[in-house]
Amino acid sequence: MTGITTGFGAWNPIAWLLLFLGVVAGALFLRRFGNKQYKKNTGQTKVFLSGNEEPEASALHVRGAHLYWGFVDGLSAYYRRVRALHTGLLSDYVALFVGTLGVVLIVLVLSR
Amino acid sequence: MSQLPRSFKRALWVFHIATGSCNGCDIEIVAALTPRYDTERFGIMLTGTPRHADVLLVTGPVTRPMLPRLKRVYEQTPDPKAVVVVGGCGSTGGVFYESYNVVGPIDNVIPVDVYVPGCPPRPEAIIDGVVKAVAKLESAGVSK
Repeated sequence: MTGITTGFGAWNPIAWLLLFLGVVAGALFLRRFGNKQYKKNTGQTKVFLSGNEEPEASALHVRGAHLYWGFVDGLSAYYRRVRALHTGLLSDYVALFVGTLGVVLIVLVLSR
Repeated sequence: MSQLPRSFKRALWVFHIATGSCNGCDIEIVAALTPRYDTERFGIMLTGTPRHADVLLVTGPVTRPMLPRLKRVYEQTPDPKAVVVVGGCGSTGGVFYESYNVVGPIDNVIPVDVYVPGCPPRPEAIIDGVVKAVAKLESAGVSK
């Protein structure tokens, strides 16, 4: 069995594989028309950043936290309070745990 | 620089870099793209990166902060390439000649193929300069 028919269409991995191979073949075909006379290890192989020097790769690295920047920035008021709770002291975390457990127990008792 | 691409004559892509100009020449370059002159009908168009350019259009007397940037842009332009200097400041230094904060004219920094003098030069002169740059490359035997 090579395909699955769903309510939204058909899923056929062989068709996708053929499509992928077709796209790769097309890309390689177009690549043949590229300029082969460029000078390696010169500015011709470097990224154009409005004439500025290309920063080190480490400076360009997109960290995982960057992906959530908009999320964190939008909820910055909430995050400020939550971060303040993270003191790094075990006694504080135990107090939070006991407090949360107490609230859960009260809710459970009241909901019966 | 053994040969020019066949597409060179049909679509000449130009990268414009201002190295401290007053923008007079830059405005005239933009004027050359307007419907009155419409250089795109000849296949001459501005590109956003020197990596795609055939011709460098340089304006300004080359201020000190622009020196490494001009060199870098020149290096990043693929061969074969032509450099056209637009304006009096880029050609000779103009009113900024031997100024303490200027390292130009442009031929002090990178090799120049065509000079288009004027303050600023008219769009017709800029178009003529670009065409002359291509003709110079072709006459130098780099054309296939």
